[in-house]
Amino acid sequence: MTVEKPLSNPLAGGAQAAGDTQARFLRTGDAEQVLEQRSRWVDSVVTAAYEAHLAPVFSTGMAVLAVGGYGRRELFPHSDIDVLLLVAPGDPTGVAKEALSRFLQSIWDSELRLSHSVRTVKECCELHEQNVELNISLLDQRFLTGDEALHRELLARTPKFLGANRLQLARHLCKLTRQRHAKFHDTIHHLEPNIKEAPGGLRDLQLLHWLRCLEMTSSSEDAQMEQPRRFLHSMRCYLHYRSGRDNNLLNFEAQEAITEQSFLPFEDPSHSMREYYRHARAVHRAALRDLESVESRHSSLLAGFRDWRTRLSNSDFTVSRERLLFKSPQLLAQDPKLCLRLAAFLGRHRVQLHADSERRIQEHLPQLREFFAGPEPLWPDLRQILDLPHASFALRALHDTGLLAAIIPSWAQIECYVVRDFHHRYTVDEHTLITIENLELLPASKDDPARGRFAHLLSEIESSALVKLALLYHDIGKGDESEDHSLASRRLAAAESEKLGISAQDRQTLEFLIENHLILSGAMTGRDLDDPDTATWLAHKITTLERLKLLTLMTYCDIGAVNPTALSPWRMEQLWRVYLITYRELTRELKDEMITPSDAAPELRRFLTGFPTRYLRIHSTQEIERHFLLDQGRAADGAVVDITRQNGVYQLTVLANDRHFLFASLAGAVASFGMNILKAEAFANTSGTVLDTFVFEDPQRTLDLNPQELDRMRHTIERVVLGRTDVKKLLGKRPRLMPPSKGGRITGRITFDNEVSTTATLVEVVAEDRPGLLYDLTAVFSEAGCNIEVVLVDTEAHRALDVFYVTQQGSKLPEPLLESLRAPLLAACNG
Amino acid sequence: MKKIEAIIQPFKLEEVKEALKAIGIDGMTVTEVRGHGRQKGHKEVYRGQEYMVDLLPKVKLELVVPSSRLEEVIKTLTAAARTGKIGDGKLFLYDVAEAVRIRNDDRGEAAL
Repeated sequence: MTVEKPLSNPLAGGAQAAGDTQARFLRTGDAEQVLEQRSRWVDSVVTAAYEAHLAPVFSTGMAVLAVGGYGRRELFPHSDIDVLLLVAPGDPTGVAKEALSRFLQSIWDSELRLSHSVRTVKECCELHEQNVELNISLLDQRFLTGDEALHRELLARTPKFLGANRLQLARHLCKLTRQRHAKFHDTIHHLEPNIKEAPGGLRDLQLLHWLRCLEMTSSSEDAQMEQPRRFLHSMRCYLHYRSGRDNNLLNFEAQEAITEQSFLPFEDPSHSMREYYRHARAVHRAALRDLESVESRHSSLLAGFRDWRTRLSNSDFTVSRERLLFKSPQLLAQDPKLCLRLAAFLGRHRVQLHADSERRIQEHLPQLREFFAGPEPLWPDLRQILDLPHASFALRALHDTGLLAAIIPSWAQIECYVVRDFHHRYTVDEHTLITIENLELLPASKDDPARGRFAHLLSEIESSALVKLALLYHDIGKGDESEDHSLASRRLAAAESEKLGISAQDRQTLEFLIENHLILSGAMTGRDLDDPDTATWLAHKITTLERLKLLTLMTYCDIGAVNPTALSPWRMEQLWRVYLITYRELTRELKDEMITPSDAAPELRRFLTGFPTRYLRIHSTQEIERHFLLDQGRAADGAVVDITRQNGVYQLTVLANDRHFLFASLAGAVASFGMNILKAEAFANTSGTVLDTFVFEDPQRTLDLNPQELDRMRHTIERVVLGRTDVKKLLGKRPRLMPPSKGGRITGRITFDNEVSTTATLVEVVAEDRPGLLYDLTAVFSEAGCNIEVVLVDTEAHRALDVFYVTQQGSKLPEPLLESLRAPLLAACNG
Repeated sequence: MKKIEAIIQPFKLEEVKEALKAIGIDGMTVTEVRGHGRQKGHKEVYRGQEYMVDLLPKVKLELVVPSSRLEEVIKTLTAAARTGKIGDGKLFLYDVAEAVRIRNDDRGEAAL
């Protein structure tokens, strides 16, 4: 590295001394001797200048004080010098002004960058609302030379001033700190951090010091800050020497150069940066704790809210002053799952951990690691945490306490991991946590025209836990530089997810999402979106609409976490276009891409032939086998009705011979029991067998409370399928629900498309969801003599999103028929 | 010296950059823009709702080249950005009076 020439000094011996100090620093890395030596030298320059220019004019009534960093004797090689000239009241004479000017000039001539202010004692003891930095700088005042009596007067008046203004000064300090943190997006994990100003930097250490001076906080953490302070001092000292100016940006070049220095025991910049983040994290957390402790003192409303939050306490935890404490921390040893309940509490209520709770976790970390490495499947708990509204907050707490790496061992590979990339601003772990925050922020963007579309996608997915887990893993392979990171991440996820106890189907989806997390962003910039081949390629790669939605959300969150401006409106538009062309292609395939198995057994081949390819993509091998066996066991003209309960909802599977009005009758039969259909799919094979699946919820808990109702329902549906019970009669008894309020109503919309498929008409319906809607809609088609070939029904909150492929006598619907269907369909939509 | 402003399809950016690099043109400014020429917009329907997509995402490249290399650069750029379909984009050419490198005050073609 090139080190600039040593600080020059017009005073005898200055240059030599500075050169020696620098050489010593580069050998030992000990910044404290540099700070001490430079402060002493600057003291001598300032005192000499005072003696030469001010002493002859001011026999009394003038004192020179070092303030700020200079007052604390923390002068880095190129730090500014802050000096306060304390003067007696009264207008200065012309001679005095001239002397002062010569004094300042001589210091500037010594190549010191001096900032000075001239104040009386009274002015020093006034609150400067617009310039509290002045008041704060006085907390570090140090007498250099001049009128000692004047300085004693200031010292005598300072306690009274501080006593009266302590809280206000602290509030200003907190406000300035919050503004400074916000400039750095409230994170320490910048790839090229400013070690003075960024969160966790030297300014935060000063904040701790000032709040202690103002007696707002205790000094209990002093010892813990010693190591970070020495490390940051050493870094800053080096940066100053290296660039020959007051430069505090630890950029990539500086990271490489500093790692080559003998005083740092690291061989690789990524290791020295991990050390930096470790210290910065300790400083940042201490600063945040002190900030919150001060902020909580000044608002009775806020205090009231905090008191109210104490009611959140439960049998495991207690909340005191917005901090979560274990009720019985010793239980951590016997009941390690207490940590997971803690994360769930944080994810639900967004309360910070108390320092004591963090300490307790740290103490038990070895045992907790051992437990989490054991055979206990953690996914049910983890899934619950990930589904909570503040899951990212809980994950951050797990990350900060080292628990996340205990639960997901490969997480340790990306902790504070730096990947040098022009676009990325954060370390890999921070980037990952931001992706999950982005997902949680989405629902609030519902009304934003660009982001709202993605918010709607999020509300369409059943659970966000799997996407969040995929996001947690998506870059975890970056710690392993030997292979493509998407593949490495998938490999690590595959190895760990089985142990977590994730079902085979979810594992498949998880691995798919991780491996393909870059394909949509790749298509956005690298593929011709107007080329039909792009849509086909994407559809074949992604395979189902469900996966497309998950992948689109993941891409949205991933791009948005690269840096604060990465997800520009332009990119959102491009991502939406990619989503749209793939969505269209997957919808088209529903009808036009049929299964034509070649290597299956003849009976299975007969069963599968003609189902849409979607059937194979959404069902596991076991499910397909089960359907096949159910069909095999069915009498030639019989029906199989199967109802199972899973994840709080019911799934109805029906296999029967196709007949007119069948799908509508099934929808009606389910609705007649007061059930609310959430999803439905209907496929038919070329042998005339239909496979209809319905996912429904039981809002009145009829089936839960009366198990015998399930048998009655199964029996009724079977009779309906076989045409032995008239569904209209069943529906006549169904209770009418209250219509939703006008404000929340969704106006029904119908779209016909004769272009998408080669053999059928696509009808898309968007309507307010209600029990019986699907029956009313499908009955319109059936009564008009149409055949429903494929159905895909979904619900998003209160919105039903239905896709039907309809034919009449084997052909697309003619235009006049479409027009005659519109009015009754709309009537069905609007109840 | 000439300034070339090229509006191209986003997916052609990498290809264009590579082609220019191959003939020794490294410096350029890239902006993500939206717009349309004769291609106009089109209507898209998603879940029954119609969206007018009138401004399509494009990429704008700006580069300044010595006049002597202009034709070569135009040829390379158009060949790399072309798909032959509507929407491939356009080039606009301007005369540049002077160029100054801020770091060391180099002027004219030496600053490129």
